[in-house]
Amino acid sequence: MIPEFSIIFAALTLGIVLAALLEKRFSYYIGVAATAIVLIMVLLIVAYEYILGANVMAQTYAYIPQFGVHVSFIATPISAVLLAMTAIVLFAAALSSGREETSKGAAVLMLLFGLAAIGLFSSSNLILFFIFWDVGVVATFFMISYMGSANRRSAALKFLVYSLGASAALLLGIILIYFGTPVHSFNIAYIISHGSLIPIGIQESIFVLLFVAFMIKMPIFPLHSWMADAYTESSTQGSMLISGVLSKFGAYGMLLLFLMMPIAAKYSTYILALAAISAFYAVLVAINQSDIKRLISYISMLDMSIILVGIASITVIGREGSIYGMLAHGLGIALLFLVAGSIEGMFGSRSIKFIRGVVEGSASTAYSFMLGIFSITGVPLTVGFIADLLIFIGAFSAFGLYGLIPLGAILLAGGLLYLVVSRSIVNGRNGTEAPYLPTAAQKAGYSVLLLFIFAFGMLPFILLKIIGS
Amino acid sequence: MLAPNSDLMLVYAAFAVLALFIASGLAAALHRRKNVAFLIGLPLLAIDTALFLSVFTGGSSTTLLGIFEMYPFSALFAALFMASGTLIYLISYRYSNDFTGFSALFGFMLLGVIGVAASTSLVTTVVGIELVALSTVFMIILDGKSRVEPAVKLFILGAIAISVLLFAVAMMFSYDPSLLLSGFTASGPAPGSYILTLAIILFIAGFSFEASLFPFNLWVPDVYQGAPTNITAMLAGMNKKVAFVAIMTTFFVLLSRYSATFSPIFELLAILTMFFGNIMAFVQKDVKRLFAYSSISQAGYILIGIAVADSFGIEASIVQIAAHMFMVIGAFSVVLWLESKGLRSIDDYSGLGYRSKFAGISLSIFMLSMAGVPPLLGFTGKLLLFSSAVDKGMLILAGLGILNSFMSIYYYGKVIGSMYSKKGVSVGSGKLFANGYIIAAVAVCLAVVVLFGLYPGPIIHAASAASLSLFGM
Repeated sequence: MIPEFSIIFAALTLGIVLAALLEKRFSYYIGVAATAIVLIMVLLIVAYEYILGANVMAQTYAYIPQFGVHVSFIATPISAVLLAMTAIVLFAAALSSGREETSKGAAVLMLLFGLAAIGLFSSSNLILFFIFWDVGVVATFFMISYMGSANRRSAALKFLVYSLGASAALLLGIILIYFGTPVHSFNIAYIISHGSLIPIGIQESIFVLLFVAFMIKMPIFPLHSWMADAYTESSTQGSMLISGVLSKFGAYGMLLLFLMMPIAAKYSTYILALAAISAFYAVLVAINQSDIKRLISYISMLDMSIILVGIASITVIGREGSIYGMLAHGLGIALLFLVAGSIEGMFGSRSIKFIRGVVEGSASTAYSFMLGIFSITGVPLTVGFIADLLIFIGAFSAFGLYGLIPLGAILLAGGLLYLVVSRSIVNGRNGTEAPYLPTAAQKAGYSVLLLFIFAFGMLPFILLKIIGS
Repeated sequence: MLAPNSDLMLVYAAFAVLALFIASGLAAALHRRKNVAFLIGLPLLAIDTALFLSVFTGGSSTTLLGIFEMYPFSALFAALFMASGTLIYLISYRYSNDFTGFSALFGFMLLGVIGVAASTSLVTTVVGIELVALSTVFMIILDGKSRVEPAVKLFILGAIAISVLLFAVAMMFSYDPSLLLSGFTASGPAPGSYILTLAIILFIAGFSFEASLFPFNLWVPDVYQGAPTNITAMLAGMNKKVAFVAIMTTFFVLLSRYSATFSPIFELLAILTMFFGNIMAFVQKDVKRLFAYSSISQAGYILIGIAVADSFGIEASIVQIAAHMFMVIGAFSVVLWLESKGLRSIDDYSGLGYRSKFAGISLSIFMLSMAGVPPLLGFTGKLLLFSSAVDKGMLILAGLGILNSFMSIYYYGKVIGSMYSKKGVSVGSGKLFANGYIIAAVAVCLAVVVLFGLYPGPIIHAASAASLSLFGM
């Protein structure tokens, strides 16, 4: 038996230390090597769970024994999927960053962020969950303020302020859960099985606190205004990780919240309404954007709202759909941001007005952008299709026809994005040469993400068997 | 396991080493031998830390001369104060204008500190606090003429505090002339008596001066900024904590029966202190002032555990006291060194992370820990504090505490952002290199903050033993 989790954490920690100590020219290779090891180990975990149908666990160490808090990691069916998504996005980000462009700080922060994400998705108790959550926030704050573009300081501060609100609500909620359970416990599995024993009044406060915390992170209207700045002002790799992985902190937490607190069922209709409003809001704002990264940011927000629809349906199939949706969103949005980074490099601008005829400059970039849009809007054979299908089956069985309203937002987004493709990607080159073409590293990044987008889209039974077990 | 006899020997040895330190400090002051004082004093302090720590792990209770009682609570604090004293001594050697005078006074100050921690009667507590306050005033004056103003401020406020305290002690005298901490519970009046309530309020007011609780903390920023930075580190890391120890022994041994009276007062003070410190810190431009206000807000957090008023709350307060001790001494050590290079305001710190990796990384870690970001020791303390408040049903206190804790990340984040902004780099005059004393002190503080943050088991265990022994007194 291979100790997968120990190898993952050892690789990331070692990577951080080495990247910090060695010279800049090694940073890129350290990042790629560490994330490659993580990807291999995570795929091993997925394979193991597929074959044996059992959870992979890591050894337990005492952390705060007085509270029964242990350092222990577990790959439940939900976390196995998220671990796979994290590892793929992390590897793609490391691979695409390029030897010249990767600074020491960038490599350290990327690996630190990876450590936080892997730890969060596999933590077996809420204290570990909170610790990795905050490490992720700190890593992201530095990632934006250290590596971002012109307005990065204000974007980073805005992100920090929203995250602090989320963290505060989360911490209070976790403490309330601990004292609310009959046998005081932070253990997630225990809380899921005994959540109904928490008194109704406390459940309501916990639900409100944690819902707000996770809503900020996902983000859902009206607590989303940090998102566009943070996604837009980060470096390409930063945007990939923040939009692809950090938003899943919130979505994963939301999923756990609905599993832990039975009272959530009482509010599901309202949450559906909120998700629908959030989805339409995101699309309508996206129509108005002239900056390609901002446009993708709002498309990302739309997708997160659709994931919330699946979670709010409280049906097994809707939940499975939302888990699959997190995978689809992570891979698809990371690809779009990577492509947007290349396009920005080609044209020296993020403004859609100046982007014309990408396909003539770099065909691989143009087609990757289109395939990414296919996945995000749920075209069959891509991973996004499976997600949307399951989510809306779940929503229909829970809410009837009302559950299908958010589909309208996806249709609108599809129309908008195909318009962008036809105007900026395939047509309208007026003879100017692009000064810069995507590097081999960036193309390698595209291919890693595309490979998994189609692999999980064509072979959905692999992950669905794990999720269903 | 040590036999009881050897525990007694350890206590005697610990006090003997302290006496030796005082004697060597006095001798050095008379002969003006700076290097000798340092070379003898530093090992003595380090040895004494180890001795008090082994007294603590021995776990027994020993009475010394009838005025000191070494039990786990006092032994733990004695060890903590000795450890922080060692660090202060280390950073003062290079930066104190009159190190020999400082050594002599520092010995008396440590005696006062240990006296408060191991006190068995109100007299010992008051004398200990006065000893600490007076030594500090003279330490500030010794640094030079420019320091008279903060010294006088500290002196006058210390005088007011001590007179208020003595007034409270006088009221207690009418109930129990022995003034012993542990004898009072039986002979005191029923809760709700007016005289006793007044005495409680006076005690709180008197201690609030020293512990920098709102509204008795308006002196803090001026004195912290005006004093030499090594003394500022001592004020924040030791003097303030001494007042908290005095609050704990006074209220949870002497007045433990009246917790229903004083707990709401402390709750209110905790909330006001946290908000005052954090809100004022938002607008500061000077780094020393920023840390002064931040340490006021930390005093507010520590007070949460005291307002909770049970052994879990005190345990949490002890962890937070230990955490803040090392965080603030470490942070002020870096500030002290940077000040000697002419960097004072947050704007001066612009681009610092590129000029000195050491300063950038260590200050970032200390500030993140103060803000309560896991997995650092500051987070452990706060988690325990908020948990203890929720456990006792004080949801508003816990909620406001958490709100404050996250508000504070904003201004720490501003400093960190400034350290890593690229604006000042071209203007800045190049790389900065720290000397060995600063590096050693900061390394110890970093090790405590990071290692016990990653594995807080032992420190929580120690705090819980100390807290239980306090309630068993």
